[in-house]
Amino acid sequence: MSSSAAVQRRFDLAAMGDAATRRQRRVGNEDDDDDDEEEDDQGSEAWGRAYADERSWEDLQEDESGLLRPIDTKALAYAQYRRRLLQKCAASATSSIQKGLIRYLYLIIDLSRAASVTDYRPSRMVAVAKCAEIFIREFFDQNPLSHMGIVTIKDGVAHQLTEIGGSPESQIRALMGKLECSGDASLQNALELVHGYLSHIPSYGHREVLFLYSALNTCDPGDIMETIQKCKKAKIRCSLIGLSAEFFICKHLCEETGGSYTVALDESHFKELFLEHAPPLPAIAEYATANLIKMGFPQRGAEGVIAICSCHKDVKIGGGYTCPRCKARVCELPSECRICGLTLVSSPHLARSYHHLFPVTPFNEVSSAVPFKVSQKFAQTCYSCQQSFVSHGSKSTPHVSCPKCNQAFCLDCDIYIHESLHNCPGCESRPGSTT
Amino acid sequence: MKFKIDDVTVYFPYEHIYPEQYEYMVELKRTLDARGHCLLEMPTGTGKTVALLSLIISYSLSRASNRGPLKLIYCTRTVHEMEKILAELRLFLSHLPSELRSSLLALGLSSRKNLCINPIALSAASRDSVDSACRRLTASWVRASAAENPAVPTCDFFESFDRAASSSNAAVLLPSGVYSLQDLRAVGRERGWCPYFLARQTIHHANVVVYSYQYLLDPKVASIISKEMQKECVVVFDEAHNIDNVCIEALSVSVRRQTLDGAARNLNRMTQEIDRFKATDATRLRTEYNRLLEGLAQRGNLALTDAWLGNPALPDDILKEAVPGNIRRAEHFLSVLRRLVQYLNGRLETENVETEGPVAFVASVNSQAGIDQKMLRFCYDRLHSLMLTLEITDTDEFLHIQTVCDFATLIGTYTRGFSIIIEPFDQRMPHIPDPVLQLSCHDASIAIKPIFDRFQSVIITSGTLSPIDLYPRLLNFNPVISRSFTMSLTRDCICPMILTRGSDQAQITTQFGIRTEEAVVRNYGKLLLEMVSAVPDGIVCFFVSYSYMDGIINSWNEMGILQDVMQHKLVFIETQDVVETTLALDNYRRACDCGRGAVFLSVARGKVAEGIDFDRHYGRLVIMFGVPFQYTKSRILLARLEYLRETFQIKEGDFLTFDALRQAAQCVGRVIRSKADYGMMIFADQRYNRRDKHSKLPGWILSHLRDAHLNLSTDMAVRIAREFLRRMAQPYDKAGCGGKKTLLTQEDVERLPHDAMDLF
Repeated sequence: MSSSAAVQRRFDLAAMGDAATRRQRRVGNEDDDDDDEEEDDQGSEAWGRAYADERSWEDLQEDESGLLRPIDTKALAYAQYRRRLLQKCAASATSSIQKGLIRYLYLIIDLSRAASVTDYRPSRMVAVAKCAEIFIREFFDQNPLSHMGIVTIKDGVAHQLTEIGGSPESQIRALMGKLECSGDASLQNALELVHGYLSHIPSYGHREVLFLYSALNTCDPGDIMETIQKCKKAKIRCSLIGLSAEFFICKHLCEETGGSYTVALDESHFKELFLEHAPPLPAIAEYATANLIKMGFPQRGAEGVIAICSCHKDVKIGGGYTCPRCKARVCELPSECRICGLTLVSSPHLARSYHHLFPVTPFNEVSSAVPFKVSQKFAQTCYSCQQSFVSHGSKSTPHVSCPKCNQAFCLDCDIYIHESLHNCPGCESRPGSTT
Repeated sequence: MKFKIDDVTVYFPYEHIYPEQYEYMVELKRTLDARGHCLLEMPTGTGKTVALLSLIISYSLSRASNRGPLKLIYCTRTVHEMEKILAELRLFLSHLPSELRSSLLALGLSSRKNLCINPIALSAASRDSVDSACRRLTASWVRASAAENPAVPTCDFFESFDRAASSSNAAVLLPSGVYSLQDLRAVGRERGWCPYFLARQTIHHANVVVYSYQYLLDPKVASIISKEMQKECVVVFDEAHNIDNVCIEALSVSVRRQTLDGAARNLNRMTQEIDRFKATDATRLRTEYNRLLEGLAQRGNLALTDAWLGNPALPDDILKEAVPGNIRRAEHFLSVLRRLVQYLNGRLETENVETEGPVAFVASVNSQAGIDQKMLRFCYDRLHSLMLTLEITDTDEFLHIQTVCDFATLIGTYTRGFSIIIEPFDQRMPHIPDPVLQLSCHDASIAIKPIFDRFQSVIITSGTLSPIDLYPRLLNFNPVISRSFTMSLTRDCICPMILTRGSDQAQITTQFGIRTEEAVVRNYGKLLLEMVSAVPDGIVCFFVSYSYMDGIINSWNEMGILQDVMQHKLVFIETQDVVETTLALDNYRRACDCGRGAVFLSVARGKVAEGIDFDRHYGRLVIMFGVPFQYTKSRILLARLEYLRETFQIKEGDFLTFDALRQAAQCVGRVIRSKADYGMMIFADQRYNRRDKHSKLPGWILSHLRDAHLNLSTDMAVRIAREFLRRMAQPYDKAGCGGKKTLLTQEDVERLPHDAMDLF
């Protein structure tokens, strides 16, 4: 039954192709994975299957009187989000506001023997792949001008899974197709490979490498310290997320090249750490020089026109974009023209990258301890979704307010505004506002 | 920073101070006030050295006006530690106000091997041969003959030092400051002075002297180097958990067949020399005879370079009377020695193990070889005098006869606390005849007693002194203060675990008889295998003995466990060869640095367990395979246990457990050397689970040993390890947050005394 449903959905997926339906598709894909897993788990007993992925006991917490209570996951998630937001603000306040918007990122996934360990369910490898999928979409969503490629390490050798490019779909497809692990891991081989690819990226692009490292050692053919220095010289920023423990050489690598080194506690923490790499990082001052970049804004081809596509080298009907300089046809944006090498983008892409430079200021928490009568002169509904703050008790539910326009917002809208909208509805609707 | 403890202004070189450092200083100050001795246990990595140095020097500066400056004698075990202490001292001095700084002189002293800069002497390999090479160039008769005949080689460095020392006051030879061994050598090269004798000369004027335990504890060395130290000294024994063993070794001698053969050769050569002198320069022997007749066993003022290792007995026990008549003549003395060597040779031929007290032994020497106790007592000094008369410079050739005379003097002097054990073969290898005659000292208090009596304050400190109440009994003294400090930590950065079972729930232990069973060996192997796959970078393993380690590595190799371990990490093994081990350690560090990961297999009580640090990524985990009991069948140990029971009422079991646990604590303590560091410790033996065992571990380990970490099996330990490593990898807040303060600033300290005094 489930397999037929999956097939149906895949068919649907193939039919869809518009960016507007991306969110919906993401939901679809997640279901898809779950279905696949259930097929995999078919061998185990029913009771094992039901709890295999949920671990519902971990959602319980003992309170002072010894009673078991479900953890208030929503409040917890919100607290986490607040912390992250404030951290981000503190970081951007101290360092320069300049951000590397055009990123060339290599995602290096360790598929050595250690990736088959099952302390992450169902295994480290699958957990990594699942998060990587979310990350890839999020990455392109937040950095429309950026490019990404995937490299895997297996049997002591690094292997380029996908070429560096701008399409999330092809990356994900390639990643999911090849999930098996064996042998040792080698940091040096991976670095050498990536160094080879990244060293001829134009200077305005930010060269980044993100390792997802399961192993606790590295079997290298030569002196890794030299390779690290080489990467440092080539201005490649290496970050690493460890899956099991802190490990000296990784820490050294990240410190040398200016990346971050983190170790995940569990699946959810891993996902959180992983997604922190999606928004563009502040550019390192000495690396980044202000540059003018030549870009093309191609027109969308008319429906029904038959043309030879430069990326697939095949005849395509309809859709596609035409390079304004050499008139070649490309299928996807953003990309680089195969013929003349011009960077091709559309204006919404630029606009979407823009918000990283001007983040919405974090909202202030309004104390819920303020008695209802006193708080009456404050707003009682969320400015953006109109939901009432007044719950059945005499206290109002916790909410926040924008320091600029003093409008109140509920917690859900707070997250939505900062993570997705990137504009404050209160400030925008003020007469004469410019931002 | 600068703060006051009672009336003493303490200078401290850092901006912040740990609370335990402050408490440590308070206790130290009380000890100094009381002019008594103390025992202080404080974990490594809490800045013990700097606390000690800054308090004692600050104290001596504040009291300088009353009665002469206090002098600090800091005893360490290795040259490496000496350098670390001097570096710390230099940092401290650079934070002192300049008017105080200018009055302080500190230096390290080591053997000629480490200090010599003469290329000829330095080319010799061992310590003894450097010594004798030096003597060949600088002995007074060599210099005298060089004055007549310029072709005789002398040491230019020493000559120019001697000129400088005689022309000016010795106190101004070195300007104030801190001199490490390297600095001394540099000064020596620059001015053309011999660094060794410069250091020897200067220690009498220095405010701080850093040197090895032996220079104070071994009466042979102490009598020539530390004799002139005045009473107003504070003596610090750092890393002193093994101080009783050092004391015992200082007074123990073992004689083997080779020693006796060598001694016989030495005697022949001396006879030849005497004959030669008789033919050429008979007056010299006569002068010596006359001098001995006058009762001067030791010549009054020896030249600095002629001073030889002193009498092995303690200064108070040396007879101040004339050498007995029957050994005054050189030939007679040699024939006495020859008879003694012959007698000892005869004793070595025994088939059985024999144990005897000194009194019985001396009686039997008297009846069989005709040498009485008094003659034995004078053997050493008489030999010394004879060798000077004969102008023998290659002292390294004469080590054998020295050993025999050492032995003779010791048994002639002491009647209690010693025993003589003759073993025809090593107990572990009964097929190979290797007779050995050992004079072993059982009483650590004999060697250390003069130190306690002589110096104002003796401070014994280490990271592991638990159980702290046993040391005063072993060393027979009354400490004013004995205290154990714990570490204040912002996070639980040490994770001790007691592992009692393998994954198959079979018990694991190194108990004799079970230790070689396949199940135990396999479970130990599985434990290592699981751990290498879960722990990053370096792992250190300690085994109970070399023979057990060899055995278990062989079995692991046969079972294929070693090959599996090698897939994750490289394996390095400590051997009895120092060079090999140093190389292995070096490669181990490199493997940890480059990310390959490594395991170091080593032995408790070995060189690695005592002096090498495995901090940071060089040691994330240390596994103690078994309880490192001493070899309980050893005759020496049995004799010592009996003595301890009779004299100090210490039960055998108590002492053995104490000794094993302090070794274990020492081994696992290698892994953590600072507060920012983290590491795990696994005690893999079911015997650790007993309360009487693990309760003897030092407090700072015990306080982290949670009940949930007792009685674990391998799989549980792996799970705990994974969790611990993940937790430790998270970024952390160094200063500590909220109520638990672990770093005190100057204001905090100034506020502290009132609360602190209530606490004590």
